[in-house]
Amino acid sequence: MEYAIELKGISKSFGPVAANKNINLALAKGEILALLGENGSGKTTLMNMLSGIYMPDSGSIFIDGKKAQINSPEDSGKLGIGMVHQHFKLVERFTALENIRIGMRGEGRLFHGADVRKKIEDTAAKFGFDIDLDKKVSNMAVSEKQTLEILKVLCYGAKIIILDEPTAVLTVQEIDSLFAVLRKMKEDGHSIIIITHKLNEVMAISDRVAILRHGEYIKTVVTKETNEKELTELMVGRKVDLNIDRPVIEKTLPLLEIRNLTVKSDEGAVAVDHINFYIRGGEILGVAGIAGSGQKELCEAIAGLRPIEEGQMIHEGESIVGMSPKKILDHGISMSFIPEDRLGMGLAPSLSITDNMILKNYNESKGIFVDRKSAREEAQKVIEKLEIVTPSTETPVRRLSGGNVQKVLLGREIKSGPNVLITAYPVRGLDINSSYTIYNILNTEKKKGVGILFVGEDLDVMMSLCDKIMVICHGKLQGVVNSDHTTKEEIGLMMTGTLNIVNKEGKTDGIAKDSAITDEEGKA
Amino acid sequence: MLDVLTLFLFNIIVYNIPLLYGTTGEIMIEKSGSLNLGVEGTMAIGAVAGYLAGAKCDSLLVACLVSFIASGLVGLLFSFLTVTLQANQNVTGLTITTFGVAFYYFIGNALSNSKGGWPTLSGTGLDAQSQAIHIPFISDIPFVGKALFSHGILVYVGILIAILMWFYFNKTVPGLKLRSIGENPAAADSLGVNVAFYKYTHIIVGSGIMGLGGLYMGLNMGGTFEGSNCWINGYGWISIALVIFANWSPAKAILGTLIFGFFNTLRVQNAALAYTFPNTLGWLTKIPSHFFSALPFIITLIVLITSSLTSKGKSGEPQAIGRNYYREDR
Amino acid sequence: MRKYHLVRRADSQLKRTLIYYAIGILISLTIGAVILISLGINPFEYYGRMFTIGLVGNRYGYKSVEGLLKIFVPLLITSLALSLSFKMRFWNIGGEGEFLIGAICASIVAFNSSGLPNFVTVVLMCLAAMISSGIIGVAIAALKVKFNTNETLMTLMLNYIMLYVIRYIGDTKADWNFFLRKDSERPIFGSFPESAVMQGIHFGKFNLLWSVIIAVILTVIIYIYLKFTKHGYEISVVGDSSSTAKYAGMSVGKIVLRTMFISSALIGLAAALAVSSAGTVSDTITNDVGWTGIIVAWLSKLSVPAVFVTAILISVLQYGCQAAATQYPAIDINFADLLQGIILFSVLVADFAANFRLVKKEEAKNA
Repeated sequence: MEYAIELKGISKSFGPVAANKNINLALAKGEILALLGENGSGKTTLMNMLSGIYMPDSGSIFIDGKKAQINSPEDSGKLGIGMVHQHFKLVERFTALENIRIGMRGEGRLFHGADVRKKIEDTAAKFGFDIDLDKKVSNMAVSEKQTLEILKVLCYGAKIIILDEPTAVLTVQEIDSLFAVLRKMKEDGHSIIIITHKLNEVMAISDRVAILRHGEYIKTVVTKETNEKELTELMVGRKVDLNIDRPVIEKTLPLLEIRNLTVKSDEGAVAVDHINFYIRGGEILGVAGIAGSGQKELCEAIAGLRPIEEGQMIHEGESIVGMSPKKILDHGISMSFIPEDRLGMGLAPSLSITDNMILKNYNESKGIFVDRKSAREEAQKVIEKLEIVTPSTETPVRRLSGGNVQKVLLGREIKSGPNVLITAYPVRGLDINSSYTIYNILNTEKKKGVGILFVGEDLDVMMSLCDKIMVICHGKLQGVVNSDHTTKEEIGLMMTGTLNIVNKEGKTDGIAKDSAITDEEGKA
Repeated sequence: MLDVLTLFLFNIIVYNIPLLYGTTGEIMIEKSGSLNLGVEGTMAIGAVAGYLAGAKCDSLLVACLVSFIASGLVGLLFSFLTVTLQANQNVTGLTITTFGVAFYYFIGNALSNSKGGWPTLSGTGLDAQSQAIHIPFISDIPFVGKALFSHGILVYVGILIAILMWFYFNKTVPGLKLRSIGENPAAADSLGVNVAFYKYTHIIVGSGIMGLGGLYMGLNMGGTFEGSNCWINGYGWISIALVIFANWSPAKAILGTLIFGFFNTLRVQNAALAYTFPNTLGWLTKIPSHFFSALPFIITLIVLITSSLTSKGKSGEPQAIGRNYYREDR
Repeated sequence: MRKYHLVRRADSQLKRTLIYYAIGILISLTIGAVILISLGINPFEYYGRMFTIGLVGNRYGYKSVEGLLKIFVPLLITSLALSLSFKMRFWNIGGEGEFLIGAICASIVAFNSSGLPNFVTVVLMCLAAMISSGIIGVAIAALKVKFNTNETLMTLMLNYIMLYVIRYIGDTKADWNFFLRKDSERPIFGSFPESAVMQGIHFGKFNLLWSVIIAVILTVIIYIYLKFTKHGYEISVVGDSSSTAKYAGMSVGKIVLRTMFISSALIGLAAALAVSSAGTVSDTITNDVGWTGIIVAWLSKLSVPAVFVTAILISVLQYGCQAAATQYPAIDINFADLLQGIILFSVLVADFAANFRLVKKEEAKNA
């Protein structure tokens, strides 16, 4: 087989975290290869090395059989590689035409010929794009922006096209027309890599599927010779027994009930779509889903940081919709979210551990002064209890290693004694030992009767740690399963949208039998 | 009567073209996403360096080249500090102003106190070359000829620069790339545009253009150095205001220069106008000249506030202005 | 392929930063020395004279100290005030304008204060200046918070508008204009009545003005405010990450408004102290503290003790240049500005050198 791209032994680490480990991957000429893997399996990192944003630590890249050095986006473009990033790289105030012209090569250095527009229009026509070249990007809908991004790389003459989760922002109809375009591109001799989580899409569009798991290359299978079940298994791996305790506590009434919650993302798309669920005291409810399925928006909505479009949020019988973050905090709901960069939300990186400890309750002490003395004691306690490695309580959080940063954050959240603890990706990027420390902390809280919402990545961990797991896919609830009565495969299928068990077999998932919300309220 | 009006129009152009230089130079820099508050200082350095070199060689061309290069070097310093070293743009720009104006006075005082003294302009070839050019027939057209077509070469160059810059931004490929950097450097970078190279070159050229404006002011003041009055006299700051007023468009900068220039000239000539037209314009003398001086800043403040109240879409302000770009931040 | 690339140092040691800063300042002084030599002046003698601000061998040495302090006090307070807003990443470069508003309002009180006790007048002057400047600061902050208007450009415009306001007052002879001397045909700013002139404590001939004592106390208060109070804590969090501040339930807009009020009011106070110490007002009363204050704040990395030290150094530089000018007429106060600029450029480079290091890129190993 002739290959458009061959990756041999590619490794890439960010500090102590290995994103890609010795990856070998090949893209045949004129094929559509789906790149499949859970969040954090290193797909985007790998592709960014092809587009010139990152450089591999080791390994080599062959383009059309020749060894290539890709040091910048420009190198990548010259080699005929075009990438459609998940977060569009467009100048909002320019028209579509202007956006395309920025990166045009071989059309004259100073002026573009009068036929540039014609060429772009021809390319658009050839692939069946319906696009207004004089429309400003700021006036475009998401799907139009994506069309523009694809048209852009086609106009630059890219023969190898990488699409990073292109369907995440599209409706079903739009996905269909995208696939039609991809097939046309393939006929035209383009080689395509598409990153997606949706198995039905993988089955529909790809010729072969390459699977990554935890930064490692697993294998490549021919789409026709496989099925969704096999792919899920390859993607999530076999169940590993992790030996995480799961103490059984007598559960209390629902502490937090979410009914019909709809929230929009920053881009204005529906991120959380009419979700129902509840958390009881003394249980850990896992939230499983592919990255970007609405987890962040859900957490932010509950914490009062994001306005909701529709729905109810009831905490101990009282609605928290429209309350300020501070008020919600005072109610006993505490949220910690570890974003990809680990520092973005919840911590002030230049401030000391002590100062970060009191971020949420500095105002509770009397007088005009911040009570640093007890803050320092608390910081010391948290450092000891969570085994945080730091020179002192006065060290800026920025200087700590990732795991210790997360312990500081979680330590603070627990310290305030919440009765609902929302924690997203608390073990992101942590080594095994630190992760276990954090699981223990969560279990201790659970034993105290705290209701915990655990947004996680690793299914093995979630199945061991959580009592129940709620699965979401593109903002929609796919069902709530009991950790003891489910399989990894089942969750995997739900995550990818293949399986939906909501309201099946008379189950009313996500609504508690002893709900504090009356039927009428629920309907409202 | 007509003479007063002719002179008024003539002066609007003669005295305020330096604003156009400062403004177009600053627009070029701001289009690359950098806010350079060092216009006043950059102009001062270009003025003194260009003037001294021009006087030495008795050549306007040398004066222009040297002032362009001297100010360009200031631009290089600004780019090095803000683009490569990621220093804060506001602080760097303000320091360039302090430094540049001090440089101007320092060199001026040192020369004035030296044996040779400060070089005078009148009677030199430099003076002759910068004087008004008489264009046959056109300059002789009554009223219009004197007001619009009897100027020194630097007036026409200034207007030409503004027109060319408009053309460069809107019609050429590098202009498009430059604007894309000012709007969204990460997008430009992903398309293979060399962000640092573009920032450096345009900051240097923009600063050089400011230098020409400074030189013009020096020549217009007869080349005399006064220990207490800088040639630039706040025009650098008005230029920064004018960039906002012109909505970051070099073409509108020409119009803006005429409007700001109108008030500026009114400040100087209000008495003459009031005297010539006592019935219609007599009230002019009642308005304090300080009001006209402050007017550019008042107008700009109003423009600034109203444009932030209305939709952001129409403003020409580069979206990434004032923020340094660091690829690894993406 | 580029062989080297820059990497941010994981730790920033105070010691290393200080050493780099010292090297930067040394290089600046060397550049200054080269300029001096080119003018035929012995740099050691000149610097010697400059840094002793004309104290050595001067019978009226106490006058030098008094003069230095008159420069120092407004600069110190303005720099502290600006640091306050910069800490929040609010680009208040309107120090000049806010200072002038304060100066004008304090002068209004001063010129109409005959008969009032000195203490009462000075307090009233300070209050008038602080309230007027503070209101302007809040107005600008409100536009920023509400409509995201560019605060850098707004405050810049304010500076010039206020400059022409005070020039107008100073140039306009009119019945209403109590700022000017009545007995002069030409418009000249009048002197304040005795009641509005800053008094001090006499140590022999040396008169230590109350404004100096106020400035020092203020430095301590601002230090405590930023370091130990809840307000100071909020400012640090908002400046470090406004999304974290929101997440913690802080009302970011309110904090910005409050801090800008304090920042501008402090600049107003600096102006009130300056006019009272000078016993008059003028359009050059700011002595460029609005601009120099930005440089001082930045050189000090917004740390209060560092601002105190830097403000002393810059004042010595400026006053020393004035003092040395008596002996070296070729070198005037502009040399101080020149040197100040070079120092800031060098320190910016030094700061970068202290925080980044050049790393040789390892060749990609083939697996």
